[in-house]
Amino acid sequence: MEKNNNSQDRQPLIDLQHISRVYQVGIEQVFALRDINLKIYKNEYVAIMGPSGSGKSTLMNIIGCLDTPTGGAYYLKGINVGELDDDELAEIRNKEIGFVFQMFNLLPRASALKNVELPLIYAGVPKHIRLERAMNALNAVGMGDRINHKPNELSGGQKQKVAIARALVTNPSIILADEPTGNLDSKSGEDIMRIFHKLWLEGNTIVLVTHERDIALHAQRIVRLRDGLIESDEMNHHRFVFEGVNE
Amino acid sequence: MDFTESIYQAIDSIRTNKLRTFLTLLSIAIGVFALIVAGTLINSFEKAVLAQLEEIGETTFWIQRLPSIQTGNTWYKYRQRKPITYRQYKELVRMTNSTPWISAHSYTFGMTINAGNLSTDPDVYVTGADPNFFITNSIDVEFGRTFIEEDIDYNRNVAIIGNDIVVKIFPNVNPLGKEISIKNQKYTVIGILKTRGALLGQSKDNMVIIPITNFLKYFASPWEESLQITVKAISKEMLQATMDEVIGNMRVIRNVKPWEANTFELETNETISQQFGSFVNFLSIFGFISGGFALVAAGVGIMNIMLVAVKERTREIGIRKAVGARRRWILWQFILEAITLSQIGGLFGIIFGVLGGYLLGNAIKLPLFFPVPWVVLSIIVCTILGIAFGTYPAYRAANLDPIEALRYE
Repeated sequence: MEKNNNSQDRQPLIDLQHISRVYQVGIEQVFALRDINLKIYKNEYVAIMGPSGSGKSTLMNIIGCLDTPTGGAYYLKGINVGELDDDELAEIRNKEIGFVFQMFNLLPRASALKNVELPLIYAGVPKHIRLERAMNALNAVGMGDRINHKPNELSGGQKQKVAIARALVTNPSIILADEPTGNLDSKSGEDIMRIFHKLWLEGNTIVLVTHERDIALHAQRIVRLRDGLIESDEMNHHRFVFEGVNE
Repeated sequence: MDFTESIYQAIDSIRTNKLRTFLTLLSIAIGVFALIVAGTLINSFEKAVLAQLEEIGETTFWIQRLPSIQTGNTWYKYRQRKPITYRQYKELVRMTNSTPWISAHSYTFGMTINAGNLSTDPDVYVTGADPNFFITNSIDVEFGRTFIEEDIDYNRNVAIIGNDIVVKIFPNVNPLGKEISIKNQKYTVIGILKTRGALLGQSKDNMVIIPITNFLKYFASPWEESLQITVKAISKEMLQATMDEVIGNMRVIRNVKPWEANTFELETNETISQQFGSFVNFLSIFGFISGGFALVAAGVGIMNIMLVAVKERTREIGIRKAVGARRRWILWQFILEAITLSQIGGLFGIIFGVLGGYLLGNAIKLPLFFPVPWVVLSIIVCTILGIAFGTYPAYRAANLDPIEALRYE
């Protein structure tokens, strides 16, 4: 059941070294993150937990290359993210990161297929390959029969599945999910967590940001944040196991 | 670049902000409309002038009582001028040595020509002319003969007819030697004019020419009938000398005192095209200026729409950035949208502008044509407009912080 116990021997996918993030609010400096050291390896399933204000959103933004740290260094696949400009960050988000948001964040006027195609458009993938890959991603999350639906024609769970397909379609190094079940009922939430589990079994690296313990328990490893610091970082020995999922 | 997506978005913002977008598109349409109408007029005018110059040649000028085109309230200035009579014309011919080619003519419009039981519409020009008229105006008689002095001296009832008349009342017979009637006067057809086509939107073949003496007897208004004298210099070099001589002779004939201004008008191709040109120029300057203002107003409207679109779609921009859109992509997406908006307005302007150009050109009898360069210019102007006023909103979109944009409600 425990995978990747020997992962420490390899190069980490994500390597955060003494990361801090300071916001200037008026004349005051607010430390969202103080001194974060975190290594995440390929095919890990990590939950980042913490109450609101603990800095987990800031950490997610930094891991997702939406934000850069004010102190320390972040290596993603060995690349120092802090040295990249806006366009290089966009490119790295496009190639390496698949976002899944609490609010789904689909383009409201575009079909499910178009939404999933979007990252491939920006990656410059030719149309016929793009369509094929988008279809594969939608099939993988069980949305192959709703490709022409617009977001407002889909339920919350279905929207999140489309969002996961969009995250998957570029074969990113990390799938970064920010409270992915936060806006869903428990049944849909379970569906979504089942998909993440399946993706992890298929070899994907998943980073889950949540404040809900039940959701965090799906992960293999749980990192707890408090006041901008890592409070604990341990393997999850109480893993929630889906019935009928063969590991 | 997702081109179709941008067009789709542009159409979408027309749907969502109906009134604002409508007003903006309207002002683009008005601007383009004005531009195209003005451009069409300029081109039509150039064509008309060129055609006229080509036909009559550079060595011809006219003496007439009044200027051809009068702008403004100038009636009081000319009302004292006495008509140019046939006697004055004969005197001018006798006195002038520098050229033999002096003709006089006058015409009346709206006549009906009959032959047997066939008749024309009441729209025929009946011109009274002398033999020189055909030389000075470069009008050729293709069949039959032109006038001889006896036709004039004995004011014979003979006529030379244009092709439009032949088609209407002599469809299957040779008109030469046949009789036609105009206002109950019988005329024998002695010649048929060479077809000349249309100028300034009117057929030049819808014409009957009769001897000037005959015309003055039966068709001239009993008073105030003033002849138009056409003079053709023998060469370009002689033109100025001939003009000077004719002016001098006319002053003598009309008893103009040395300190008085001419009591007649001398016009050349140049003066006529100047007069006509100033009128068209006024219209085109008015068109370009009002079009320019409308387009600038439209540009501000485009910027407003695009700024609203950027604000309303902040979250969408955040999503696009999160999944890897570079700044350049966002920039182009919104600029393309602005161009599309602008082109949609421009399209309406082009449609109405081309129609308007036709109607206006038709109203002032200019040759009609499709103003291709002006349509192309309009498309270019709309593109520039979209870029000029879409770049700032697009720049704002492209520089949004993805985290803030994603958080935007």
